Amino acid sequence: MELLMPGLGLVFWMTIAFGIVLYVLKKYAWGTILEVLYERERQLARSLSNARRIEQEMAGLEELKMVKVADVEKQCEELKARARLEAEQIIEQARETAREEAKIIAGKTDELVAAYKRAALREIKGQLSSLSLDMAEKIMQEEFSDRERNARYVGKLLDKVDHN
Amino acid sequence: MDDHRTGWPNSSSGHQYLRTCYLKCACILFSLNLLTVLPLLANDGRDAQSIDGITIEVEEPMPKAVESTFNARKVIVDHVLDSYDWHLFDIGETAFSLHLPVILFYEGRLFVFSSRRFDHGYASFKGFGLASDGPKKGRAIRVLDDGKTPDPEASAVYDFSITKTVLAVFISSALLCLIFISIARRYRKDEVFIIPKGLPAFFEPIILFVRDHVAILAIGQEKHKRFMPYLLTVFFFIFLNNLMGLVPVFPGGANVTGNISVTFVLAMFTFFATHYYANRTYWRHMFNMPGVPFFLKFPIPILPLIEVVGALIKPFVLMIRLFANITAGHMVILSLTTLIFVLGMVSIYLGFAISPITLVFLVFLNFLKILVSFLQAYIFTLFSAFFFGMAVPDAHD
Repeated sequence: MELLMPGLGLVFWMTIAFGIVLYVLKKYAWGTILEVLYERERQLARSLSNARRIEQEMAGLEELKMVKVADVEKQCEELKARARLEAEQIIEQARETAREEAKIIAGKTDELVAAYKRAALREIKGQLSSLSLDMAEKIMQEEFSDRERNARYVGKLLDKVDHN
Repeated sequence: MDDHRTGWPNSSSGHQYLRTCYLKCACILFSLNLLTVLPLLANDGRDAQSIDGITIEVEEPMPKAVESTFNARKVIVDHVLDSYDWHLFDIGETAFSLHLPVILFYEGRLFVFSSRRFDHGYASFKGFGLASDGPKKGRAIRVLDDGKTPDPEASAVYDFSITKTVLAVFISSALLCLIFISIARRYRKDEVFIIPKGLPAFFEPIILFVRDHVAILAIGQEKHKRFMPYLLTVFFFIFLNNLMGLVPVFPGGANVTGNISVTFVLAMFTFFATHYYANRTYWRHMFNMPGVPFFLKFPIPILPLIEVVGALIKPFVLMIRLFANITAGHMVILSLTTLIFVLGMVSIYLGFAISPITLVFLVFLNFLKILVSFLQAYIFTLFSAFFFGMAVPDAHD
């Protein structure tokens, strides 16, 4: 029976002790611990949902990236093909131009050569005529300076005429 | 999406499993307790003739008149009861005890003296002595001049002594504050993802258990936060004191949670907290239950009466359950221990023969008691939480 009788002193001290423990732990321990635990859970939930959202976004981005890459590759191919074509055209054009220019230059040269030739011929002709005139003059002078011989010659010529 | 979810423990099924587990454990343990304690309690009325009969006569006369009877029942009850001194150990014939202060109020006067003055009940001091029998057994009472006989005309002695149990409560309270304040200091609000190590690593799962499987289960997600400090304190107070009660040496060994005063105070805390936080719906259900015929409430308030009695029974049941379980456990362990000596009285060889068997049982029982320590703390906390949950119902009608 003595087991079942609450004692006044023990009840008194126990109330005080437990009250103090409750107050102290509530103020200095449970507050911090529980706050950290709840905050951790909140952050965990937030991080998880963030991660899930980011994953979805990443999947979307990946798809977008693939589309873009394909697009860019296609454009690249097109560009390359066009560039090749253009290069060929340019080369062809250049070749054409060069050929034409060469033809023009060749034509001009021919004309020039012909002009020079004509000028040279004209000069040569002029010089030849003056030379021959000079020579003729000299010959003439020479011829007329020797009277006896001239006379003899004339006589010969006359002879011939007589023969005729 | 589903991969994320499967990574987390499925709380509802795990919860269910845990609950059934605990229920089974509780049932088994309770029946075990009953089976082992019943014969002991049955002995109470017949004043232990069978056990008291086994005595030993010391052949050579001792210098002091020492009671040489081995009384198993007395040993057990004395160990379970509170006392004014804390027996530490014996060396030879000399007992080393911590003599605790006795504080008494008698007829408006304060008496403070060491319990050494009582000399384990053999002496009286200033007219106070220890009751050797009756409902106040082992407690300080007024005695007549012969130092033994209780004074029948004395008025009440108010006993505020720092007894063994009080000291044990103080020690465990200090320990509790020390443990949890040091844990709280390791937590930082700005870095919540630090992996707990040491003490926090041990206690955090238990704190989470109390929150998830006690508070949220019984009170609900929205309202449980207000009750968390009380539930955690009461849980760890009971758990620590249960465990310390299992340790046979100082500062353990005091039967704190197996003392009716301690469980009475804990139950009262739950009772007052319940009614302090109780909302309008609770009071309305108590005094003016909606949806029942008025003649149950007026002129004879049958239903309110039942409700009030129910509210008073709840803490009473809490008090008795914890006290009975822990005391029963202590008694079983003590019974097994004293069995060696009881049989040793019959024949010394019998005593030696029984001790290995007793030892095996004692080891088993101690493991069981560790489980019970947790279980009783859990049950007390869970029931407190259920009462809180009932006190703050949603106003749905």
